[in-house]
Amino acid sequence: MHRTVLICAALGLAGGSVSLCSAQDFRVPASAVAGVEASIPTTGRGKATFYLLGPGVSLKSDVNLGEEVHLHSQDLRYAGSYLALVCSSSCKNARFYVTEAKPASLTFLVHPSRVPVSQSDAVSGVALAFDKFHNEVLTPVAVNFQLTAGTASLFSRQVRTQDGVAWFRTASGKSAGGLQVVASLDDLSARRAVQQVASEPCNLRIEGQRTAIGIAVETEPVHDCAGNVVPDGTIVTFTATEGNSRSTVDAPIKKGIARAQISGPGEASISVASGVVMGNELRIGAKP
Amino acid sequence: MNLMPKSPSRFFSGLRGIAIVALLIVSSFNLRGADTPVQVQLDLKKAGPRAVESLTEKGILRDYRLAWTSMAQALEFNTPDPLEGPFAGEAKQQLLQTVARQQHSGLSQRYGDQYHRLVAVFYAPEGDVMELHDTAEYQLQVSDGGKIIHDEHVVIHYVVLMTPGADRWVIRQLQAVPQF
Repeated sequence: MHRTVLICAALGLAGGSVSLCSAQDFRVPASAVAGVEASIPTTGRGKATFYLLGPGVSLKSDVNLGEEVHLHSQDLRYAGSYLALVCSSSCKNARFYVTEAKPASLTFLVHPSRVPVSQSDAVSGVALAFDKFHNEVLTPVAVNFQLTAGTASLFSRQVRTQDGVAWFRTASGKSAGGLQVVASLDDLSARRAVQQVASEPCNLRIEGQRTAIGIAVETEPVHDCAGNVVPDGTIVTFTATEGNSRSTVDAPIKKGIARAQISGPGEASISVASGVVMGNELRIGAKP
Repeated sequence: MNLMPKSPSRFFSGLRGIAIVALLIVSSFNLRGADTPVQVQLDLKKAGPRAVESLTEKGILRDYRLAWTSMAQALEFNTPDPLEGPFAGEAKQQLLQTVARQQHSGLSQRYGDQYHRLVAVFYAPEGDVMELHDTAEYQLQVSDGGKIIHDEHVVIHYVVLMTPGADRWVIRQLQAVPQF
């Protein structure tokens, strides 16, 4: 217990000098926990004014010296520094700290929400524990991180919080689909979902033929190097070179295949690319 | 010798002038602490796992300073308005509650001569949260109905969580601890 000495005040009253020994002592809690009531014993005689200032609290009340000052649980719900003042003929002060209660919730930040497969250090998560009054739990606790894709466990690690924070960073899995990311602490858990999508196309190949209105080209089903179907909407660029002229068509993949119609009667050379990946080149003869 | 002015209206006018000057002097004393610029020093050597970009460093310095200036104004003048913007989440709720309770109790606090030694201890991999340790020094005055009942130079350690907002970094958690 912290101890604060209050000095007796000698006041001159009518008929002589009277010593009013008001407050000699008051003691603030050596350790207080958020949301738990506490008391501050005082000694001395007479009336005084008690003040309590802290996070979310500003109290002023009349007290009788020699009695305990009761601090309600709702006045101590926030962890932090509290200043107690007892004022009679003079003011005396003492400071005490309220520490957080046990963990009651986890804040879990996971990035990104959509990630290509087989990327190193692509998925990260940060977990912070809070008590039921939303104070950050700074006492080290062990947080378990688990990443699962379907029934397969991709990553599992226990990390002890440092300054209230636990975090991880790891590679994405090899298969497209949902990735469940879970942080747990005792009976608390927070779950996030990450969508794993195919990476860059691999072995991009096209085939084509001349038609009545030009040249029809299409890709073979587009996969990444792990065999995942590249998602619909991914742009594939077809470039046709006919003599000195050059034309380009951007086509989105639909159901795994991108298609384009290229006009031009002459012999044409057609190439394909998606992002930084080049595919094969195709030669189509002139219109007969 | 007659010290009275020649006309009563000039006399009262002179008194009014003196009163205004006195009021300004008193006001300047009252505002002295609030007007003292908040000093913030930021150490990034322990920040990680993400490296702190120089623009982020400037933003943290600017917004942390602004937050404490705003907090000091809110708690000195018992108005919640300065808290809009620099604070969010639980830190804002706590401060709003403190202001409301001070309005009720008639108390106010003045944070003067602030000096903050900030150390960034964690910066999330994706840059969406930063934790800092602040060793704050300031002159704390507590007033009850305008009468100063406590005046103390304090050193308080704060654990701070800041997150980036649309145009600034905001304080989400401001929690005093006995030591780091």
